[in-house]
Amino acid sequence: MKRGVIALLVSATVLATTAFWFFGMEKSVNAHDIMSFAVIIILVGFGIWFAIRRFSSAYKGEPQEDELSKRIVQKTAAWSYYISLYMWVFMIWLKDRVTMDTEQVLGAGILSMAVIFMLCFIFHKLRGIRHE
Amino acid sequence: MNNRIREYRARHDLTQDDLAKRVNVRRETIVFLEKNKYNPSLKLAHDIAVVFGVPIEEIFIFD
Repeated sequence: MKRGVIALLVSATVLATTAFWFFGMEKSVNAHDIMSFAVIIILVGFGIWFAIRRFSSAYKGEPQEDELSKRIVQKTAAWSYYISLYMWVFMIWLKDRVTMDTEQVLGAGILSMAVIFMLCFIFHKLRGIRHE
Repeated sequence: MNNRIREYRARHDLTQDDLAKRVNVRRETIVFLEKNKYNPSLKLAHDIAVVFGVPIEEIFIFD
């Protein structure tokens, strides 16, 4: 239950600050801003889905976490760490080739890390954990 | 590793939910086990064997 509440709180905070940033912008909205906003919405959706799963497990009286869910999270964390290292190398390569502010590069990198984590989680959820 | 959980569950007239509750895991874990998408820990394999009243090697078959 605790992790579900934390996931919900984090999602709500991210959503509120993103809305504050998006609607409070002085300059005109460009394609990069819209893309960032869309990615954040997807990540917030993922966070809310995670929280709802926890709440529904608690409601059904089943454990919110067991050996399979723990191993999926562990494996997701390990994979996303390795993939993120390569992603940052790519970002370093990219920064000299496109005109982006430092904060845009960092923001894109952080968002990419979250997306990588989400994709790794979905991959392990679908594939399962076998022969290890 | 293959397993005969689905077969034993049918013999004992247990749903996935019932078995999950008896071995204290999520129903999803039983689904993954039956689809051979997850190799359980020794403890979980033991708990499942205890529920069906047979040795572990009756349920889990090593290739």
